[in-house]
Amino acid sequence: MRNKTLNYSAAIGLFAVFIIFVALNQATPFQIGRLESYGGLIIGGFFRTILVSFIALVGSMITGFILFLMAKSKNGFFRAFNDVFTEIIYGTPLLVAIIMMAFVVGPAFNTYNRPVLGVIGLIVYITPYMANIFRSAFKSIPEEQYLAMDIFGFTNVQRYIYIIIPQVIRILMPPLMNNFSLIIKGSALLNVLAYRELFYSVSIMQSRTFGYAEGYITMWILYIVITIPLSQFTRYFERRWSLQ
Amino acid sequence: MNLSIKNVSHTYDIEVINDLNIDLQNYHSIAMIGVSGSGKSTLLRLLAGLETPTEGTLTVNGRDVSLSDHRRSIGMVFQTHSLFPHLTLKENITLVLEKTRGIAQEKASAIADENLDRLSLADQGHKLPQNVSGGQAQRASIARALSIDPEIIFLDEPTASLDPILTDEVLSGIEKLKTSGKDFIFVSHVLSFVRDFADYVIYMDKGKIVEHGTPDILDAPKSSSLKNFMSKVR
Repeated sequence: MRNKTLNYSAAIGLFAVFIIFVALNQATPFQIGRLESYGGLIIGGFFRTILVSFIALVGSMITGFILFLMAKSKNGFFRAFNDVFTEIIYGTPLLVAIIMMAFVVGPAFNTYNRPVLGVIGLIVYITPYMANIFRSAFKSIPEEQYLAMDIFGFTNVQRYIYIIIPQVIRILMPPLMNNFSLIIKGSALLNVLAYRELFYSVSIMQSRTFGYAEGYITMWILYIVITIPLSQFTRYFERRWSLQ
Repeated sequence: MNLSIKNVSHTYDIEVINDLNIDLQNYHSIAMIGVSGSGKSTLLRLLAGLETPTEGTLTVNGRDVSLSDHRRSIGMVFQTHSLFPHLTLKENITLVLEKTRGIAQEKASAIADENLDRLSLADQGHKLPQNVSGGQAQRASIARALSIDPEIIFLDEPTASLDPILTDEVLSGIEKLKTSGKDFIFVSHVLSFVRDFADYVIYMDKGKIVEHGTPDILDAPKSSSLKNFMSKVR
């Protein structure tokens, strides 16, 4: 245990030293003080990143669930739609999806609200990944459990409330958190639409103060401040709650 | 139990059964044996009402197996334990009793304790299925099947997924139920268990009933197919 702590401290320390080394070796002196009067702007961007990511998470859970139902549907067109849509999205870079949505698809429908279109782009992009985790979560309940529910005579509502949903939630949580992390990282691309999330807020500060290294390092650390606790929590959740 | 199968044909997975007929009266424990794909598991599922035959009728104790009355009168144990993994062994039993049989919490808890004890699991009830051995989980699933007080318990190769030691443990647990007053219909590959536990044996091959009778048929097989089977299985 003590060894483990020591090893992790050393690894984290090494990265810290590396960052400090990089910061101190810039062409212009590293002055974190340049950020001072832009704290509010950057914190605002930080929270907007969390906000849009959360909206995209909830939105894509809904659309992902609909897509999952389509994939499971008896209707052949729905299944075909799912296949085609999934392939198209898998083949598209997120940046391209966001730009297409904001500059091409939106205007075709007379909509020019770029941040909203950007978030829609993000939702559309994450949808098939969400559908996937729903699929694997429901599939992980083996057929024999359904047969057992049949034999005992559980009603449909009882099945969902007492047996299916409690299991599916536990299976769903870790990949859902991973997807949330993907969304947070992906949301940085919304800066191309001039939406004031974390990336764009930092760019504003940089263009005014020329504090490039200061800005990028701060931004990087702020992303990590969200995503690493998230992945640690996911691991904790898996250890504590997962069902084999 | 009484069991009647008339002109039954059906296909399930790779198993095909073809025009089965048999009429049995007053047996308590009927074993179905045969190689994989012989149709024995399909016949078990048909008798449990889990599958509807493409042709023919099956009745158990005078009831058509497609009726919901039949389903409510049986307990079933599958190849794997089929316990609900998010519930403890005991909760697996009490949930079924409370929700599907309308039994009050306290009584359900008492019934669960009693049946766990019967399968030597009195001290394991608070554990999740993933925290007990495969044999214990399978015994808990037998306790769960027993707790609804079924007329007949169906066992579909209950030890298929267990190693030999756990197999013994589960089978001796089942053997103790011989005096429980329940009837059994089961599929098993463990012939010593079939000999001890069954009072009637149905041997199937290629979707047909080839031989049937008391367990003595295992010691004096008439057909070449059963002879061959006996020479290959312990």
